[in-house]
Amino acid sequence: MIVAIAVSQPQAPARRARRNSPMYRAWQRYRKNWFAVAGLIWVIIFFIIGIIGPWIAPYSYTYADFLHMHSGPSWQHWFGTDTVGYDVFSQILYSIRYALEIALGATCVSFLIGVILGLWAGLAGGLIDIIVMRAVDFMFALPSFFFALILMVLLGKGIFPMILAIGIPGWAGYARLIRSLVLAMRNGEMVEAARALGASQWHIARKYMFPNVVGSMVVSLAFGIPYDLTAQAGLSIVGMGLNPPMPSFGNMLAQAGANILGFPWLLYFPAGVFAITLLSFLFVADGLQEAFNPKGGV
Amino acid sequence: MSQPLLSIEDLRVEFDRGEDTVYAVNGVSFSIAEGETLGIVGESGSGKSVTLMSAIGLIRENGRIRSGRALFQGKDLLKLSERQLEDIRGREIGVVFQDPMTSLNPVMRIGDQIMEAMLAHHFCSHREAFERTLQLLHEMGIPEARARFRNYPHEFSGGMRQRIMMAIALACEPQLLIADEPTTALDVTVQMQILALLEEQRRKRNMAVAIITHDFGVATNFCDRIIVLYAGQIMEVADTGSFIRESAHPYTVGLKHSIIEIGHRAKPLKPIPGMAPTVTEMPRSCSFAPRCPLATERCRNELPQLREIGPGHWVACHRAEEVLEDVI
Amino acid sequence: MFYVKFLAKRFVAIIVTLAAVIAISYVMMYYSPGGFMNTTQLASALAPLAAQDPAAYQKLMEQFQSRYGLNLPLWKQVLLYEWHTFTFNFGNSMQNPTLSIMSQLKGALPISVFLAFGSVVVSVVIGIPMGVIAALKRNSWVDYLVTTLSMFGQAIPSFVLAVLFVLIFGVVWQNVLPVTGWGTPADAVLPILSLAAGNIGVVARYMRGSLIETMRQDFIRTAKAKGVKYWALVIRHGVRNSLTALITVIGPQFAFTVVGTVWVENIFAIPGLGKVISTAFTNFDFPMAITAVFILGATIMLTNLVVDLIYSWMDPRVKLQ
Repeated sequence: MIVAIAVSQPQAPARRARRNSPMYRAWQRYRKNWFAVAGLIWVIIFFIIGIIGPWIAPYSYTYADFLHMHSGPSWQHWFGTDTVGYDVFSQILYSIRYALEIALGATCVSFLIGVILGLWAGLAGGLIDIIVMRAVDFMFALPSFFFALILMVLLGKGIFPMILAIGIPGWAGYARLIRSLVLAMRNGEMVEAARALGASQWHIARKYMFPNVVGSMVVSLAFGIPYDLTAQAGLSIVGMGLNPPMPSFGNMLAQAGANILGFPWLLYFPAGVFAITLLSFLFVADGLQEAFNPKGGV
Repeated sequence: MSQPLLSIEDLRVEFDRGEDTVYAVNGVSFSIAEGETLGIVGESGSGKSVTLMSAIGLIRENGRIRSGRALFQGKDLLKLSERQLEDIRGREIGVVFQDPMTSLNPVMRIGDQIMEAMLAHHFCSHREAFERTLQLLHEMGIPEARARFRNYPHEFSGGMRQRIMMAIALACEPQLLIADEPTTALDVTVQMQILALLEEQRRKRNMAVAIITHDFGVATNFCDRIIVLYAGQIMEVADTGSFIRESAHPYTVGLKHSIIEIGHRAKPLKPIPGMAPTVTEMPRSCSFAPRCPLATERCRNELPQLREIGPGHWVACHRAEEVLEDVI
Repeated sequence: MFYVKFLAKRFVAIIVTLAAVIAISYVMMYYSPGGFMNTTQLASALAPLAAQDPAAYQKLMEQFQSRYGLNLPLWKQVLLYEWHTFTFNFGNSMQNPTLSIMSQLKGALPISVFLAFGSVVVSVVIGIPMGVIAALKRNSWVDYLVTTLSMFGQAIPSFVLAVLFVLIFGVVWQNVLPVTGWGTPADAVLPILSLAAGNIGVVARYMRGSLIETMRQDFIRTAKAKGVKYWALVIRHGVRNSLTALITVIGPQFAFTVVGTVWVENIFAIPGLGKVISTAFTNFDFPMAITAVFILGATIMLTNLVVDLIYSWMDPRVKLQ
């Protein structure tokens, strides 16, 4: 009787098929990246601050403590006070709130406009498509910041104008994505193959199209927020930001040249918090990009 | 007999794949004499490329040379430093690779690429290198050498690019040329041209050539001796004549039966059943046994050693004599 | 011949884009709450002059009127303005109506150009070696360090870095490097560094990725088989082939750097185009503002054009479209 010599491979343990959806796998990849996870934690913290800020701030941002102007960090004023006596800590808390408001608002505006134009271009095709794509090229030719600057002049200063000024020029990226999705749905090879197998239009859309584009969309949105934060602060630096006494990071940073001699805390804290905010959102966006796109970037 | 030019002794090479190890070369020994042409024949994964490539230090990052020697001009290549190997590569040993599309630097002029081979070894002066390059291009059959010197690889056809590769390999008049599947990526008509060119150069320079190929039509047409590799081990070694007339290994016989020959229309195709294995364990028995029509108990338990069954004819099979008598 | 066609097409595209930007800006200014195109606004801006010298004031007002055709319908005004701009007839600024815009920009433009290009040069000079070393020593601590630094560098916008530098060199380590003003070579160090940090990160990252990809190619194996020595291999075959991927990213980076100079000049009090832009916008000096944007925009697009040309020169397989 022949006895087989070949040693059989040990069986691999059966995979727990609990949740093996693309979403779950993406989450697994995301988790591995500790910068992204740390970023996510901070982002959540910032959102919480954004929401409950006004309640936990020790002072209202308009409260000017004349007795303690220009004082350094102390028990009464954790981060010190500025030239007029505003409490820096409270200013920062409020800034986070407004910064997030503006960033989210602007991203929504960009997204809405982008989706509408992208859909229109993809569905209507022909001349409309050409015009929209030329417009996209135009938007990409110059940095969006310049457009934002010009819009600020038109719209004046304030939170809502800022949302529009930063948001409107950002439509191009989203438009492109949506348009390619629409075109793929109408013409793609995957669609033909699936149709040949008898799948319905909706089914095709759900299973093949959306997952691909949702990933890119989410990543774009995620990167949009840090861009908006940067743009806001940038506008303030150029002098087109929010008017005092509205608190904003950009304004605080812009004081750099003028006032810091002798009062460095006016800069340390805002700069530090701003940097952490920005970095957290960026790490999250980076992490998302790698999660959805494992070969991700370079 | 004078000292062989290159002598490989009991070479063992493995690749670390993380979860397992692939034993690509398992105790291969052979030699090449000066001016001789040797054909190394085998399927993909048989270890034919890895054998020679690892001898000259061109294996992938996760490859490890476990043991063995590779004696070239009296020195063991496996023990040389990278610098010393750099000196030998391109100078004493030239290599022609399989895919001429991707094997040339796309942003460098081909003339410069050929000259680089000479300049890197300080083979001659800059001026001389230039002249030699033109001459080489001419010898390789590339017209208008002077003008073509300044062209880029994408401006040439596949066959021409392979000629350029050969020019590079031959630039410093090496003693040994290794040709790794030199014709596989080319059209059939071009294949013959390249082989003819190879033969012409070999004769002119009295150079030893090792051709690695899976197409043993190429091997039998071109080589003095043939080695058959399977699963990282030598199955049979013979001079071409013996090889064609009297193969002694079931695998070799199987190979001969499975090719399509022009003019033999009614001949039934008899492919060898099964697939070539990826060797993830050290072989302790005949690797071909699972697919061999003559396999016995002994074959499945005992590793057949390479033994001589005729002048210069070696085989690794327990039942080689029966094969010779045409049992299959 | 072929190049000429390409260049012509690109120039046309640039001009069309700039014209569109100018038109849009002009219209926006026209309708903005601080609209300058109506004479009352202008009048109030020039009020001090009116008090001092009514005759000159009258003359300026008329000059202004006729120049911009403030009585013409909007579309004609736009065309008029376009014509003026493209013939480099920028007119006078509104903050200093006696000075021409051209004279004010003449000093400022070279400074900004110097900062922007300077930072690109610095980032390439530092970033490429960083990327190469990271690629060659993949997964080692060096690689990890470079990748992390790049990540941070890319993330932090130039003005945050600028602010940090002001903090460090203005407060903590005074007198090491100047933090404001513009006169000595030392003044350029911090601004260029703030601008370059982000670019260094990008360059290093792209170089690393590109080089890793390149070294996997077959022709590297051929070069090794030729006996090319290690560093010659890395540089002449590896890096040389990876540079093209890098070039594609430098174009957009430059645009972003230009925006950065606007910020950085404000923070370091450097009299460049960025400072001019910010004062122009805050003071509603629209002719100046639009002109400055025009100039910066033109610089960016021309640089992109040059980058494309360089790219085609570097990779003989590419055909310009």
